[in-house]
Amino acid sequence: MSLKNIKNLILVVFLGFLLTACATSSRKPGKDYYTGSDTVKFLASGVPDRVFFATNRSSLHSGAKGTLNKQAAYIKSSGISVVVEGHADERGTREYNLALGERRANAVKDYLMSQGVASSKITVISYGKERPVNPESSRLAWSQNRRSVTVKSK
Amino acid sequence: MPPIIAIDLIQISDKTQLPFAPKAKEIIEKIKEKEKERLVTKQAPPKIIPKEKLDAVPLPDNIKKQVEEKKKKQNPEEVKEKIRQSSEFEKKELFDPNKIAALIDKSKEEQADIQAKKSLDITQSQDNTVSLDKGLTITQEDAIKAQIFKCWNIPLGLPYDEDLTVRIKLQLKPDGSIMSSEILDHARMNKPGQGFYRVLAESALRAVKLCDPLKMPTTGYNKWKDLQLNFDAKEMLKG
Amino acid sequence: MKKIYFILLIVFLNTNLNAAVKIDITRGNLEPLPAAVSDFYIDNPEKFSEGIKKLNLESNLPKVIKNNLKRSGLFYILDKKSHIQKPKLSHLKPRFEDWSLIKAQIMISGKIKIDEKGRLRVEFRLWDVVSAKEIEGLALFATPKSWRRIGHIISDKIYQRMTGEEGYFDTRIIYVAESGPKDRRIKKLAIMDQDGANNKFLTLGNELVLTPRFNPNSQLVTYMSYFKNLPRVYLLNIETGVQEIVGDFPGMTFAPRFSPNGNKVIMSFAKDGNSDIYTMDLKSRVVEQLTSHPSIDTSPSYSPDGRFVVFNSDRSGFQQLYVMRSDGRKVKRISRGKGLYGTPVWSPRGDLIAFTKIFKGKFYIGVMRTDGSGERLLTENFYQEAPSWSPNGRVLIFYRETAARKKGVGASSKLWSIDITGYNEVKLKTPSDASDPSWSSLLSK
Repeated sequence: MSLKNIKNLILVVFLGFLLTACATSSRKPGKDYYTGSDTVKFLASGVPDRVFFATNRSSLHSGAKGTLNKQAAYIKSSGISVVVEGHADERGTREYNLALGERRANAVKDYLMSQGVASSKITVISYGKERPVNPESSRLAWSQNRRSVTVKSK
Repeated sequence: MPPIIAIDLIQISDKTQLPFAPKAKEIIEKIKEKEKERLVTKQAPPKIIPKEKLDAVPLPDNIKKQVEEKKKKQNPEEVKEKIRQSSEFEKKELFDPNKIAALIDKSKEEQADIQAKKSLDITQSQDNTVSLDKGLTITQEDAIKAQIFKCWNIPLGLPYDEDLTVRIKLQLKPDGSIMSSEILDHARMNKPGQGFYRVLAESALRAVKLCDPLKMPTTGYNKWKDLQLNFDAKEMLKG
Repeated sequence: MKKIYFILLIVFLNTNLNAAVKIDITRGNLEPLPAAVSDFYIDNPEKFSEGIKKLNLESNLPKVIKNNLKRSGLFYILDKKSHIQKPKLSHLKPRFEDWSLIKAQIMISGKIKIDEKGRLRVEFRLWDVVSAKEIEGLALFATPKSWRRIGHIISDKIYQRMTGEEGYFDTRIIYVAESGPKDRRIKKLAIMDQDGANNKFLTLGNELVLTPRFNPNSQLVTYMSYFKNLPRVYLLNIETGVQEIVGDFPGMTFAPRFSPNGNKVIMSFAKDGNSDIYTMDLKSRVVEQLTSHPSIDTSPSYSPDGRFVVFNSDRSGFQQLYVMRSDGRKVKRISRGKGLYGTPVWSPRGDLIAFTKIFKGKFYIGVMRTDGSGERLLTENFYQEAPSWSPNGRVLIFYRETAARKKGVGASSKLWSIDITGYNEVKLKTPSDASDPSWSSLLSK
């Protein structure tokens, strides 16, 4: 899927949302997560290291669950321990974003545990908005920054 | 708050409740000149010892003294020396011999005031039959307002949500120049917790002085020789 | 004849009291007050050491005062070149005509000397030029190297005399100094005088540090650090440099602030994806949990009397402001407008709460009453947050970030201040980018 298509898709979702009118928060609540592959690295071959979130959300969409299924399988098979980093975009207050990053990291941890990874193998840390992967101030960058990244612990 | 000025003002206001009659004032001015020195030397300054504060000592107002002393080429440090000995950690009352003289003079003025009024009564009261009429026209009022607006720097730091009105009474000469100005609620300026009122009052007094002389209608002196201006900054500060 | 005389007298007195035409003056100009600050007079130059001479205190000390008054937005400082009266007369009673001629309404003069103990003695006088009278005068002593503080204390006295409110110039600001690219930002704790002078770094930048806040006596700072990659709340004594972790929490602690008496730190503790508000008593080490809700509760701030806490929570689905009693009971939502609300801070006067608001993609700094009524937005921008109050409750300091283009080009973060009237938005000078400012209380108090 090209970038343009993604943008169009997002726009449609957004307009649909406007009709149902809630409008206190972001432009497309719940659906504006990044679905591309830029910035994504790999824990192991075929195991993406990160999942993306919608504005102010910490719920996992089906694509994210697919990625985490692969991560869970890899962690179990390799016996490694991981750190799950939670991140937020720059469009929130610093302190709230710290909490939001922590909530996202824990959503991932919970899901990995539901897939059989031992709790002792996972630690979480939140960086809030402090460590963006894309430093630009744009909707695309923000969607790439709303993420959790699973890294091998040293 | 440094106590210095506050005490000064309380005393002045207590004694300026009554406006001066114009001629009396001239007479008083002359008396004042003569009596000034004598009164200064007689009167001891009021003393108040406020709470301790680090590193700050209010000054005696020795500027005038210094000027004189300079002329005589004497040691100008005499007054300050005294203060240093009394420890710099202690806040001491600052007094101004000249101001105190003025206070004393004010009380004299007051007495003279009453007498002077008597002597003026007859001529002025004859005019009063006219001034029982209605006051100024709206256009005339607006013209006065417009002048004051330009002269008044509203103190920007004042709270916008407090009711503060300062009433100033003016006595004008026929040419529109200000003969006397007086804050009606003067005592309030020195009450603790009335810092904002004092700030507003002082700004209003400056406005009046900056606007002196006022451009007044060429006729009907009796209608406008006594003016009361009510200064209220609330609407402006609200923005 | 005597009777008539008496009646006439009564009529006269009566009309004299009542006949005055009353005119309401409800408008004036809102221009800053024209003020002149004369260079100061040096009383005993022969006692000045070479080092002190180089400080050029006769002009640099008044300059500190001028800058303070100017930045307050309440004064217009007349150019020194316009002064008719020369500073060599600054120790004498001014020629008021000279100052009214250049339209000054107030004038500040002063005198500097080195006393017999080698201390700096600075004496200043504030003159009402229009009314031709002295309205304030004070002498201050200090070691010569504290000359800037003398300038700040004098500024505070003038501010107080001219506004009726305590000043805020003899204060410091602690903040986070930022450098490097946005995705690898280096952050250090830094402290400076309120006017940007005497900037000092308190940490080296080896670990990420965030949200420093002064305690009421301004000796201690509480902040968040990623030391050893464990994000926790710390204490730092800025005099001794000693740091210590606050409590022994099995997870991230953040958003710390002191209680008004300085005895407790209030903060958030995040566990299993849920952030609640806790306090820790710094002496007894007793930890208390104030909120227990499966939502994000953070950014707590005490009322100045210590009886209430305001915080933000997304328990309604979106970030909003809530007030509770300081024991955690009686939680009540106070923000009612559209949009998200965060970083509430109770004013030192107790009457207002400052906050950040996010609405339709814009960030606002605003204030509201403590029951949520009377919301006023002071400034709108691309990104700004985290207001902190001046000790007199008149001014807010906050940080503002600019939007970045590709690869982070054009990103910056600066400190700004604004009057609670919404006037006088001013950028503060910092040696580097800056964020998370916290204003100290008055140092001389």
